[in-house]
Amino acid sequence: MTEFKERTITVTIDDSVCGECTTKACVTACRIYGRGILTLREGKPTILLTASEAARAGTECLACEHECLLRGLHALKINVPMPELDKFKASLNTRGEERREYS
Amino acid sequence: MRLYEFQGKQLLKTANISIPKGGVAGTPEEARKVAEGIGKAVVIKAQIWKTGRFKAGGIKFANTPDEAEEMARDLIGSEISGTKVKQVLVEEKLEISKEFYAGVIVDSSREVRGPVVIFSTQGGTDVEQVAKESPGKVGRLGVDYLKGIDSSEADGLVSRAEVNTREKELLSSIVSSLYGLFVKYEARSAEINPLVLTKDGNVFAADCRITVDDSAIFRHPELGIKVAREFPREPTPLEEIAYEMEVGDYRGNAFFSQMVEKIEGPGYVGYHGIGGGGAILGVDALNRKGLKIANYSDSSGDPTASKVYRLSKVILAIPGIEGYLLGGFIAANQEQWHHAHGLVKAFREELAQKPGFPVVLLICGNKEKESHVILKEGLRDLPIRLEVYGSEYVYNPDFVAGRMRALVDEYRADRGVRP
Repeated sequence: MTEFKERTITVTIDDSVCGECTTKACVTACRIYGRGILTLREGKPTILLTASEAARAGTECLACEHECLLRGLHALKINVPMPELDKFKASLNTRGEERREYS
Repeated sequence: MRLYEFQGKQLLKTANISIPKGGVAGTPEEARKVAEGIGKAVVIKAQIWKTGRFKAGGIKFANTPDEAEEMARDLIGSEISGTKVKQVLVEEKLEISKEFYAGVIVDSSREVRGPVVIFSTQGGTDVEQVAKESPGKVGRLGVDYLKGIDSSEADGLVSRAEVNTREKELLSSIVSSLYGLFVKYEARSAEINPLVLTKDGNVFAADCRITVDDSAIFRHPELGIKVAREFPREPTPLEEIAYEMEVGDYRGNAFFSQMVEKIEGPGYVGYHGIGGGGAILGVDALNRKGLKIANYSDSSGDPTASKVYRLSKVILAIPGIEGYLLGGFIAANQEQWHHAHGLVKAFREELAQKPGFPVVLLICGNKEKESHVILKEGLRDLPIRLEVYGSEYVYNPDFVAGRMRALVDEYRADRGVRP
């Protein structure tokens, strides 16, 4: 498992399945949409930066996750935390408002 | 971000500028207690972000605590200049001898581009008007931000005031302190108007207006400001959440403001504009089609995809919206594919369980074609009503709003909701 943080997000890669991936679309996407911080090593995506370098160089473009979902093996996930929004939605659930629609 | 008068006065006090004795009150009973503590005639001032409070009935006088309570009862909960009054400031009534103006503003003109200290021998009125009608009464001093203001410069500025030497020293000291406060709190403006010389020879800040740079608010938690936006009301929970993503993150903006605090009835859509002016066109068009916006948002200045994602999640969290319109009524220079990636992730998380939910996306400009591919590919397996438009409709808000209305009507029909 590879995990690294950018400024406000965390990227997690289950690289145990990446060897089977024929597209390596996440690495290509990183070059197109971001700053190319993802790189291939022994056929698997990895990052060759220190934590502080990754936090600074990552552009939080979310493209690697998108491409892995569409053209890869669903191995890469990005967590964009919004804890206060989660609490807000939980409070709506409690009040039965989340699914409120008008009739 | 403009501070309320009572907040500004607390800052003045920390800068050793005298303020009238008093306190803030949220109820008539509290106002009475403050008046009792003062023990003399008081002035009761509505705490709202509006000028011209006296003429609008927002400032009243009372000779006794009973009267103070009565006046506060009139003010608290009333609406003045379109703003509901939640608090009043109760202060001792000053015995005024002379009124001055002292202020520090940012002059953004090409010739200056820096702070300017202004002192006027006529206070209590609009200083710009005084400068126009009696320019000799108003002195201005451009300040080198790196050097600051020295006492001789402050002395020179107040020298036109016709007061004795001790009083001039007091005024000079206040001008210097006000400039120090302006720098310390990263203000856009700090004004005392009127700056009052009392009959017993003391100088007080009788009223003030301090505006702190929105982008600096996060460096000043001591100000207790949750959301650095001048809403005419307290921010909603979602506005507080949305603002969190802006704090200290200058990578583009993601503005979010709710038009109604709670949706009561059909016809509201989540609105996500790109580019403030152009986005308003979409709002007008939606209104003409019988739809209202639950919120106004704007993501521009090339925000990160993560920021767009967060904004979109906040919009989708508004209970009761019947659709989502991305109103990019502008051929934007920002790389739109970051918007596309952010939106796809948010929609996939939030709309998979909302079959038929209407989503109309107008996204134009730089990387438009690529963005459309990302959106269509990324959302093709979602069970929503999705339409994506580009530059051919950038000047046609009527069409885009019409499509939103049509999809909302279909969505209502699905659910058996009367149009």
